[in-house]
Amino acid sequence: MHAGIIFFLVILGSILFHIFTPWYWTDIASNWKGMDDTITLTFWVGGGVFVAVCLFMIYCVFKYSYKEDRKAEYKPEDKKLEKILTVATTLGVAALLAPGLIIWNQYVNVPKNSIEIDVMAWQWGWQYRLPGNDGKLGTTKVVNINDDNPFGINLDDPYGRDDVMVQSDIINLENNRPVKILLRSVDVLHNWYVPQFRAKMDAVPGVVTYYWFEPNKVGEYEVLCAEYCGVGHYAMRGGVEVQDPNSYQEWLGEQETFSDLLAKQNKEIETKKVAKNNSNIEKVIYKEEK
Amino acid sequence: MSDPKIDGFELKPGFRGMASDTGSDQTMFKGVHWGKAMMWIFLLSDTFVFSCFLIAYMKGRGSTPVEWPNPSEVFALEAFGVPVPLLLIALMTFVLITSSGTMALAVKYGYEKNRKMCGWLVLATAIGGLTFVGMQAYEWSKLIHEGVRPWENPFGAAQFGSFFFMITGFHGTHVSIGVIFLFIYAYKVFAGHYENGGKRGWFTTMKGDYVEIEILGLYWHFVDLVWVFIFAFFYLW
Amino acid sequence: MSDEYENKSGYQAQSSEALTGSAGSAPDMDYVRPAELPEQDLYHGHTFLTKWVFCQDAKVIGVQYFLTAVFTGIVGLILSWLMRLQLGFPGLAGFITAEHYYQFVTMHGMIMVVYFLTALFLGGFGNYLIPLMVGARDMVFPYVNMLSFWMFFVAVAILMASFFVPGGPTGAGWTLYPPQTILEGTPGSGMGILLMLISLALFVIGFTMGGLNYMITVLQARTRGMTLMRMPLTVWGIFTATVLAMLAFPALLVSAIMMTLDKVIGTSFFMPTILKAGEVLEYGGGSPILFQHLFWFFGHPEVYIVALPAFGIVSDLISVHARKNIFGYRMMVWAIVGIGALSFFVWAHHMYVSGMNPWFGFFFATTTLIIAVPTAMKVYNWILTLWRGNIRINTVMLWCLGFIVTFVNGGITGIFLGNVSVDVPLSDTYFVVAHFHMVMGIAPVMVIMGAVYHWFPLITGRLLNETLGKWHFWATFLGAYSIYFPMHYLGFIGVPRRYYEMYDSPYMTSAVGMNEFISLAAFLVGAAQFILIFNIIKTLKTGKPAPKNPWKANSLEWHTSTQPPEHGNFGERLPVVHRWPYDFSVPGAKDDFIPQTTPPSEVVHTKVEKT
Ligand code: HEM
Ligand SMILES: [Cu+2]
Ligand SMILES: [Cu+2]
Repeated sequence: MHAGIIFFLVILGSILFHIFTPWYWTDIASNWKGMDDTITLTFWVGGGVFVAVCLFMIYCVFKYSYKEDRKAEYKPEDKKLEKILTVATTLGVAALLAPGLIIWNQYVNVPKNSIEIDVMAWQWGWQYRLPGNDGKLGTTKVVNINDDNPFGINLDDPYGRDDVMVQSDIINLENNRPVKILLRSVDVLHNWYVPQFRAKMDAVPGVVTYYWFEPNKVGEYEVLCAEYCGVGHYAMRGGVEVQDPNSYQEWLGEQETFSDLLAKQNKEIETKKVAKNNSNIEKVIYKEEK
Repeated sequence: MSDPKIDGFELKPGFRGMASDTGSDQTMFKGVHWGKAMMWIFLLSDTFVFSCFLIAYMKGRGSTPVEWPNPSEVFALEAFGVPVPLLLIALMTFVLITSSGTMALAVKYGYEKNRKMCGWLVLATAIGGLTFVGMQAYEWSKLIHEGVRPWENPFGAAQFGSFFFMITGFHGTHVSIGVIFLFIYAYKVFAGHYENGGKRGWFTTMKGDYVEIEILGLYWHFVDLVWVFIFAFFYLW
Repeated sequence: MSDEYENKSGYQAQSSEALTGSAGSAPDMDYVRPAELPEQDLYHGHTFLTKWVFCQDAKVIGVQYFLTAVFTGIVGLILSWLMRLQLGFPGLAGFITAEHYYQFVTMHGMIMVVYFLTALFLGGFGNYLIPLMVGARDMVFPYVNMLSFWMFFVAVAILMASFFVPGGPTGAGWTLYPPQTILEGTPGSGMGILLMLISLALFVIGFTMGGLNYMITVLQARTRGMTLMRMPLTVWGIFTATVLAMLAFPALLVSAIMMTLDKVIGTSFFMPTILKAGEVLEYGGGSPILFQHLFWFFGHPEVYIVALPAFGIVSDLISVHARKNIFGYRMMVWAIVGIGALSFFVWAHHMYVSGMNPWFGFFFATTTLIIAVPTAMKVYNWILTLWRGNIRINTVMLWCLGFIVTFVNGGITGIFLGNVSVDVPLSDTYFVVAHFHMVMGIAPVMVIMGAVYHWFPLITGRLLNETLGKWHFWATFLGAYSIYFPMHYLGFIGVPRRYYEMYDSPYMTSAVGMNEFISLAAFLVGAAQFILIFNIIKTLKTGKPAPKNPWKANSLEWHTSTQPPEHGNFGERLPVVHRWPYDFSVPGAKDDFIPQTTPPSEVVHTKVEKT
């Protein structure tokens, strides 16, 4: 008896926890509401099945617990019931799969008007590059990377010259404008993930991976690294600032291009880079102390 | 146990036979020696090992940024002053296939309880395998001489050397293990361990039987077959 | 040498003689085909060394596997305590630095999945139960079986040694993703990872030796009358899992070999050009994603290698203790086989956001959700077995019920993660951690515990104490559920997994309270396992001797000549099987169970439907 009651309380507790939980997803700030909706749908269908199965089990525990004089039913096979259950489950699963695939189809097809952003990851930090007026990013190579060429842009690639270099771990985005995130890494796997945008993808050294989203809420967001990348993984943060078009243009105007950078190749840059590295290290240490 | 005559059970041919064997009690493969069944399943597992290697090779070859070396140049051998592409490999393949033939004959004579012939043929197979390993060692040393290393090579993508040494090395290990066992089994055949009810082996509670030659033969043919794939993937692609 | 073979060739003659002799008296309906195989000769050890250490009796080997696996499991459990200590109360234990934390995560994950669960289900239960349940005297190759255990033992020793080498054990995550894994700066990237790879390779070799035994014993050494469709589901589960392991471990072996070469001689199978600390490393041109494919081609079947034996065992336990035939036996068998086959076509659902070609997502999402159908069928069949049963609510049954709750919970969250676009926000968060612990951590452990309470009398001849057993169950079940149920919500918030600390982001700090709670629950669950240890010690010393076949079960392991069974299992004569093992509560029968060995002529007046 008590077993059935405790199991019942566990199920009841789970439902109540879900209803009253203060912990749930962050307010969405991108176009991927479809993901949330599919989760919700899966939640209700799946949660319903979970509760139904468990309640049925508890019912059996109450109703059929051992009595000396009772004999269990003997019925090895019930083809009809099995068939009904198989068909019902298949339909249910198909109903969940369909929206999942539809949204995935959107996820892999990037809209034509999106801005490409080169997100470069290393242990443990981020930096960003935007295409210049030509709208194209220059090609890169890991071996090209040095203090004068922090993104490793191929010097003979004409598209690279006007690229905008955001040598900060915060990137600004234009509200309601789709962005295609092009991820690359110079060392190990990383993953550029903003919970509010829902989307993510690994950065893999040696290849360029991508995904896209359209921010739709002005504000500041935190970037978390979502693929284990070594002891600094948990502290590998970045930032995103979503702005209205005017402020965004203003911000964009203030950024340096690659040719600017090449033009003033001097000691100054070196000191800047060293300082930046130091500040990164400091950040990690600071966070570890906290 | 090699020739099944099972009481009260009719062996039906074809698919129906398979189904009725599967539905029966005691054994699924009627009259198949435990050791033989074990070897088949081991070889299935080993097939997956080699498949993983070869699929990795295809993927690796497909994704290197550097050009893959041209096999018919890399593997050419000078014969009478002219470089003949794939000469050594053709010889190696020939030797290995021949040794499969002698192995098959050894099995046949084994079941005929022809101890002498069986023993000599197992020994011949072992020598064939040894020759193969020797030629492979020669090829390795030639390539190493030309500067091919697992981590680099003068002809192109570094992964060429990595995959080549790894996969042929893994296969060569299989051949070498096979050769060792062939020698041991040749001794056992000559010593008569499979005659008069059989002598118990070291590793098993089972008594010796000529079926063990067939089991070893399965392994040997498998190693041979794998070589054909390696040959195709490395030398002809 | 005092050890000797006992030549039993006489026995078989005797039994077939008995058969022909009795053919006249016994009715035709009891006819079972005569033996195809001669008796198996067994090697009986007489010295301590050959009897208990290098023993060739599958039952002893099973117990050896079991104890070794449990030892690794305890190490894994202690590591989980240390991790929870750090996550719930950061900084409380100063020695848990980020390096150490990641080493704990890695070793915990690898130990629990491979060295604890896999070894315990296949090596432990497989060895003990397969020969007994199919009516064999032993595994078909006892010597190889013995080697298999010792290979495993060496693998465990090497794994444990990695805790003590300079640099400590590897801290690359149990998935061992390159380039991370072998790059300097990763904890244990020197000796640690090398020992891990060697240990894994030895594990695979050792397992192959055992796996061949399990498979051939099931396929080629069943007793008379034991058809495949009369085998207990336990055997079906372990058998199918073994097949999966035989075909999946090769991928692990190959990836371990390739990674070892990358590490030791500097090949670049998995290593692209890498810039580290301002310097370009010697590597170049390799593919990190290739490793992930190889790893998950092993890794996904691995999940089912753990799950299928649990499915099989729990089916048997439920049926015996609900006194009811398993509902839809054929469906259960086909579901096990079908899940096993499908599990080779879903591996990349672990890689939706790994950077592989995203078009694969469609294929793998579809296959993954297809696998949900046979899995759901199994769940239905378990609860329908309870329905209209006569359920003993004892400790064993409680573990089974706990399994159903946790498994269904984890199965449902699996549908979230399998459905590509739903996986995108959730992958690599605590939702994943909660999901896989529920479905392949807690649920199989529930089955193991149930199996321990169930088969303890068979192995030792004594019954475990029920009251202690119930306390053990409730503490473990309630504790584990309160660890992992709330943890899903951490994932919804967006907390990534493998975070040493969760601090500072505003929505993460909101979860501090929950983290403390989860940690306390984790300590409770770990501590609760001492109840079992106490129970076992107490039972061995003063426990009630178990009557023969205390649960009134039908399967052969309870119908041996002695209990616990001796070497050779069945005494003079092997049992002859006449029916499936689930004839419980047959209308008209005088007891509520009919053992598999009961010939039809003894139960003609009953309504047995299935044989
Ligand atoms: C009550 C017992 C257990 C507790 C408290 C526990 C706790 C944990 C914790 C805290 C983590 C690290 C999460 C992170 O930082 O991302 C973890 C990871 C993991 N656990 Fe457990 N665990 C338990 C039992 C198990 C069992 C039985 C299994 C067997 C399947 C298991 C398999 C894993 C795996 C595979 C990982 C992932 C390791 C990785 O990320 O590399 N755990 N566990
Ligand atoms: Cu990271
Ligand atoms: Cu999986």
